[in-house]
Amino acid sequence: MSFKRRLLMLLVFTLAVALTGVNGVAQGQAVKNPDTLIIQSFGDPESLDPSWAYDTASSGTFLWNVYETLIFFVGGRTDLYEPMLATEVPSVANGGISADGKTYTFKIRPGVKFHDGNVMTPEDVRYSLMRFMLVDRDGGPSWILLAAILGFDTQSTRDDNGKLLPDIWDRVNQAIQVKGNTVVITLKDPYAPFLNIMASWSMVVSKKFVVKNGGWDGAKTMVAKYNNPEKPDAQELFDKDAGTGPFKLDSWDRGTGNITLSRFTDYWRAPAKLSRIVIQKVEEFGPRRLALQNGDADIIDVSRADQPAVTGISGVRIVDDLAQLTNSPALFMNLNISAEGNPDVGSGKLDGNGVPPNFFSDIHVRRAFAYLFDRQAFIDQALRGKGRLANGPIPYGMLGYNPRGKWYEVSKDKAVAEFKEAWGGQVWNNGFKFSVLYNSGNVARQTGSQMLKETTESLNPKFKIDTRGVTWSSYLGLMNQKKLPMFFVGWAADYADPDNFTVPFMHSTGTYPGRQSYKNPEADRLIEQAGKETDAKKREALYFRVQEIAYQDVPTIYIVYPTAFVAMRAWVKGWYHNPIFFQTWNYAYRLSKGQ
Amino acid sequence: MATYIARRLLLLPLVAFGVTLLIFALLQFLTPAERAALFVTDPRQLSSIPAIIRKYGLDQPIHVQYWVWLKQLLHGDLGWSQTARMPTSQALATFFPATLELTFYMFIPIIIIGVWLGTRAAVHKDQIVDHFSRIFAISLRGLPSFVWGLIVLMVFYGGLNWFPPGRLSLEADLFVKSPEFHRFTRIMTVDALLNGQPWIFVDALRHIAGPAMTLVLVEMALLVRVTRSSMLEVLRQDYVRTARAKGLAEPVVINRHARKNALIPVVTLSSLLFVGLLGGVVLAETIFNYPGIGKWGAEAAVQLDIPGVTGFGMFIALITVFGNLAADILYATIDPRIRLQ
Repeated sequence: MSFKRRLLMLLVFTLAVALTGVNGVAQGQAVKNPDTLIIQSFGDPESLDPSWAYDTASSGTFLWNVYETLIFFVGGRTDLYEPMLATEVPSVANGGISADGKTYTFKIRPGVKFHDGNVMTPEDVRYSLMRFMLVDRDGGPSWILLAAILGFDTQSTRDDNGKLLPDIWDRVNQAIQVKGNTVVITLKDPYAPFLNIMASWSMVVSKKFVVKNGGWDGAKTMVAKYNNPEKPDAQELFDKDAGTGPFKLDSWDRGTGNITLSRFTDYWRAPAKLSRIVIQKVEEFGPRRLALQNGDADIIDVSRADQPAVTGISGVRIVDDLAQLTNSPALFMNLNISAEGNPDVGSGKLDGNGVPPNFFSDIHVRRAFAYLFDRQAFIDQALRGKGRLANGPIPYGMLGYNPRGKWYEVSKDKAVAEFKEAWGGQVWNNGFKFSVLYNSGNVARQTGSQMLKETTESLNPKFKIDTRGVTWSSYLGLMNQKKLPMFFVGWAADYADPDNFTVPFMHSTGTYPGRQSYKNPEADRLIEQAGKETDAKKREALYFRVQEIAYQDVPTIYIVYPTAFVAMRAWVKGWYHNPIFFQTWNYAYRLSKGQ
Repeated sequence: MATYIARRLLLLPLVAFGVTLLIFALLQFLTPAERAALFVTDPRQLSSIPAIIRKYGLDQPIHVQYWVWLKQLLHGDLGWSQTARMPTSQALATFFPATLELTFYMFIPIIIIGVWLGTRAAVHKDQIVDHFSRIFAISLRGLPSFVWGLIVLMVFYGGLNWFPPGRLSLEADLFVKSPEFHRFTRIMTVDALLNGQPWIFVDALRHIAGPAMTLVLVEMALLVRVTRSSMLEVLRQDYVRTARAKGLAEPVVINRHARKNALIPVVTLSSLLFVGLLGGVVLAETIFNYPGIGKWGAEAAVQLDIPGVTGFGMFIALITVFGNLAADILYATIDPRIRLQ
């Protein structure tokens, strides 16, 4: 949506509230649909198969409402677990984790029923983990368990040419074993985030149900057939449910994008309070906002920019400043831009009409921009002041975040000094021209680009920056081709561990450094070492050092650890937040509606 | 007439071929990496872009890719639409009935009110009705449809709660999904009546009312203007004067003699309008969260959903050919002077 349109909509809504005094269903009035929770979200899931889905919408839907994991997070904590489908959280003390930190034993809860009526067995757990790893579709989540269990080098079940690794089934089969009523997982290397990963990614499916519907039977010979499916609906759980969770899937209407879940009465704990959850796909904010006002929706997705339009509606509760496991947006610089047919680097030379491909490889250029970009002003203008200044890849509050970690202050003088030093003075004398890019529709990033343009161009009349918005899919395509000179993008956690932030931001094989051509061997070594380190104090020290490198090398300008907020009807009861929840309504087991 | 229709229908595959080729050619302006990004919704999936390019053959020459697509098509497979989360052919079958239904309910008021108001304005040229219709037309078309959409939404949903967005209310939707309800046509109002559920019929109409009202307001204006000018032209003709001189009653002159002739440009416009509406009314469908073909088509285009966009384009081409054919047949019916060779 264009900025103008958004502004207009905001205006119209503010006017509507002001003029008509239409302020929604007042508190004290009857609760609409008292046993059904209605959520309006802007997106719908790609697939409901846990081994395929890797998008926010699907995990929001089925984790942990339809599928459950072996262990779960306690309340709002992301580093403390409680048993779920396992009866005990493994620890060294209770013998669940071996002394060398490689073997994890999960005692499987007896008497848990799947939605298809079958009783869960340790074999179901083993099968589910194996299936999750071996499906491994391109762009899917399988790498998380593959790398955790089979080691950092094994991020895929296929080689670089797309051929299935011949021994992959044996390795997985060897690593995950059933012993009595336990499932024993042996890691290649000790891996500190493992329990955290299990709390999010060990979704258990009914093997009998999957096999009955034509899915993989667990045999080695059949792996090739089910590996890397071409289309999501080739999978048997694409639109079906084989979970144990408090809710079961009633329907996924792909015509409207609406999903209906209903209470599972044979649940292993007390059944959920709500009898139904309806997740409706409503792309535009306007109808979502009115549905919240009218009480037709209980919780809606609202962007930070639209927050004023949901503020002050009676009967609507807003909870703000919710911690998130995100580092977004950060401003990335590309140390080796692919210049071929690239309009964003101008002439491709440092002649005042462009930049050379390795423009940002000069540390002085990167530091100049770090001094120049006013991050607090950005937070105030683009994020309504919500969020904490960032100082590195690891979010505030997580292990490894250094509250005393240094970052660049805003200083035009220092920026000028750095620019004058850069490229032996050529940058300052000749000037430059390149584009800062953002994904179109993201108003915050657009604002950031504009701010950077204005401050940079005010330093020197020869400095020119274009700002350019590109649709999300093109944006990712260009990013992967290393064509973006400077760009805004962010990261949200796969699992609540610093490993999942330092690798994508700072490890040379990680998501972003790979596209920025940034490599620091010391950072690589520290990150790999920290992943294997199980002593929290030692890990922290390693990550503090990674933060220092992030500051010194500054391939990326870290801006903000943003916070989230939720807008819901006040009659929604039992709501709580955990930063790992992809959407603020993620876990509906304890929710209910009432005055 | 029959040969004419046959000839037009024979053109159909050619048109469809041309459209799909054009879409394919246009998509070549995007690099394989950009097209692969459709399957990549998050930066964390960037590393699989080369594998996706290989998997879907996105780096193959255009004629190879087109041939693969064509072969699929001959097997009745239009490919997987990533944005619809279903095969493209199924997406067309799912979204089109909703849009057809919406179009039907807006087209009738547009034509009836538009022609009526246009006629009144012409007959009472420079009188109050005429001024009113002119101001009406200019102001309605002057504002973009999404502004009207928002206003209608706000007043009739936010304020009065008469016309909610979406396709059905929660209770109706649950009932429609239950085994008690049979989907015969996928056109909700018709299915509701066939199932003997008038409350579903009313519920569906309430949901259609919002987008329909928005578009009736916007699209009618043009029809009013065209009818008016065409009527004025006709009213000046000799035969109208003759009819009046014969002493025929004024309503007979206007309705029987003049209007029938004035309708020819109106028919052209209406058929274009009808086809345009069928092709999807993106903004109205989006604002009212109405699950129609336009909303899907737009989403598919933005997200570079190639099978989706190609299937959608082909379908629109089909509708356009049929729409024009219908208009041609209508001409001949209204005006015997136009005879098809």
